[in-house]
Amino acid sequence: MSDLESSIRETAKNLLTEGKVDLILGYEKGALPLRAAPCFITDPTDVDRLVFDYSCDLNLAKFLREHPEKKLGIISKGCVGRGVIHLVVENQLNKENITIIGIPCQGVINRSRVIRKIGEREILEVKVENDKLLVKGKDFEESLPLDDYINNLCKTCHYKSPPVADITVGEATASSLQDNFEDITSFESKTPGEKMEYFKDELNRCIRCYACREACPVCYCSLCFIDQNKPVWFGKTADITDNFIFHMIRALHVAGRCVSCGACSSVCPMGIDLNLLNRKVEQIVKERYNFESGISLETPPPMGAHKFEDGQEFMIEED
Amino acid sequence: MMQKMISKDKISKFISVLQKEYKIFGPVREKGDIVFKEVQSADEMDLDYLNSKIPPKSVLFPMVDTLFSYKKDGEKVEIIENKPYNKVVIFGIRPCDAQSFYLLHNFFNFGKFKDPNFLDRLLNTVLIGIGCLNPRNTCFCTSVNGGPFNSEHVDILLTKFKENYFIASSTDDGDVILKKMDFLSDAKDSDVKEIEEMQKKVESSIKIIEDLEDLHKILDNMYEDPLWEECALGCLGCGTCSYLCPTCHCFDVVDENKPDGSGRRVRIWDTCQFPLFTLETSGHNPRTNKIQRARQRIYHKFNYYPKNYNLIGCVGCGRCILYCPVSNAARVGEHIGPLAWKSMNFIPSAAIASRLGVLFLSLP
Repeated sequence: MSDLESSIRETAKNLLTEGKVDLILGYEKGALPLRAAPCFITDPTDVDRLVFDYSCDLNLAKFLREHPEKKLGIISKGCVGRGVIHLVVENQLNKENITIIGIPCQGVINRSRVIRKIGEREILEVKVENDKLLVKGKDFEESLPLDDYINNLCKTCHYKSPPVADITVGEATASSLQDNFEDITSFESKTPGEKMEYFKDELNRCIRCYACREACPVCYCSLCFIDQNKPVWFGKTADITDNFIFHMIRALHVAGRCVSCGACSSVCPMGIDLNLLNRKVEQIVKERYNFESGISLETPPPMGAHKFEDGQEFMIEED
Repeated sequence: MMQKMISKDKISKFISVLQKEYKIFGPVREKGDIVFKEVQSADEMDLDYLNSKIPPKSVLFPMVDTLFSYKKDGEKVEIIENKPYNKVVIFGIRPCDAQSFYLLHNFFNFGKFKDPNFLDRLLNTVLIGIGCLNPRNTCFCTSVNGGPFNSEHVDILLTKFKENYFIASSTDDGDVILKKMDFLSDAKDSDVKEIEEMQKKVESSIKIIEDLEDLHKILDNMYEDPLWEECALGCLGCGTCSYLCPTCHCFDVVDENKPDGSGRRVRIWDTCQFPLFTLETSGHNPRTNKIQRARQRIYHKFNYYPKNYNLIGCVGCGRCILYCPVSNAARVGEHIGPLAWKSMNFIPSAAIASRLGVLFLSLP
């Protein structure tokens, strides 16, 4: 157990015992290595289930809307906190009921990348030792450079701890990183044909399980556009054209709302890096509106507010 | 039934003989995942694999299956039916996935209405399995009437042995195929003995979840149990567990109409985990929340299936455990029944533990 984990447990225990919250939402060990699961704790004697490490890749803010009647404490790394804040700004949560327990995050491991590297061998144990990721199985042991397996998003993340927190646990580490959207610049240097090939290749594997949508903290429509069936708006087959439509529209629908947690990519059972689409949209929103979601409780999201000075060069004036 | 040996380097010859008559689907590595795809030669296949991510049910029950298409010309409508199905060999299928075809057959062949698409394909399909030398920690086939070398549901089963494969047919179709292969050698008695011992050793390495046979009786009294709330808590409500499950078979049928008057009727995968799945035309939805949907999946496999077909609706491949995006132990346990939790080190919350005391006590 790390120092951070014991502080998390201590804080959770106190909040529950003092009756300040009814439910603590955190992470616990998943059923397999490199897996963390969401954990719901109401009994102070259960706090020892709480963990926090490189495998905690889900965005817990997703689960808050399911408990509107409860006072909640949420263990929040940076992007979880941003999710909570953004949902409050969008009037989806009552901040009075929520205690953000801010914790520092070191980034999460990109599970699909590890699995692709290990191939058809069963991973039985994963450990982080200094800058190495040790992966063990029945007849093998590999030592991989940790940095190569950290999510790209985490490498450019400059909100390791939530921008707004009610309680802070552990030392917040400020990031000196400047996110220049280099990943997007390099992707955009491809020819249109190469880009098309890339997306075809990736989206062809989508099985339409909607894990990306279900894991996304800001995907909360009671009826998703893709589920509109009276009349049908879009095709629901796993054919490439339908997959394109679904993922492109979802990316646009979370414009100025996406909190860059990468949960969509982490949960994708097929290992598709869906977040690439969101990154482009994030870049546009930042450049046009100088806005990042989930940073402040006051600023409304650009797509939900209107300013006269908003650019509208796409409007065509009649002669 | 025949027992022979085939050396590894003859597999490509074996495939090319089969190709004269059959389309071959085999395990292919694509972006790090194994998928069953049509192959032109043995070189494309990866036979040293654990198991495919998408189960080979997709060959007989594709994710997108055009039932028929049509063209309209004024008042005239021309229906274009599907062509008769090709003869297919699924090469390298695991025994658990082959068993899933047997379970799926029960569903698609049940009652008055037979499903021609699935059944015609099945009739034209020969299954050539490869025994599982490295079962995963998440495997529990031996608890659900299967086994890593179970030949009951394949026509031919291969078992890797040194530089060879031990190859045994278990059906007439399998015999016919093996008789065509004049390059197989005889299996020595001593080798067969050694292979059987190896198979037994692998089989006994798979952990047993006791009493899954009786789970349906326990479930009879658990419909309103608060346990399902716990299961649903961390569940995302996505379709991963059912889409990657070899025995899940639910589907939706949609019509696609193009402005030019043509179109098609397609069958696509659907799942009880989606709220829309049970939304009725009236607007009523009998399963409005995740708790009901989480419960449905376990009841279907471990209660309704045993009652309808006298079989457990699960083959123990462990894909739901492996691929559940939230890896919630409660949720994962839900897939294989509360009895399985202990073997997966699931620590239930204090409240749940006291209610489940009886179940946990019955574990080995």
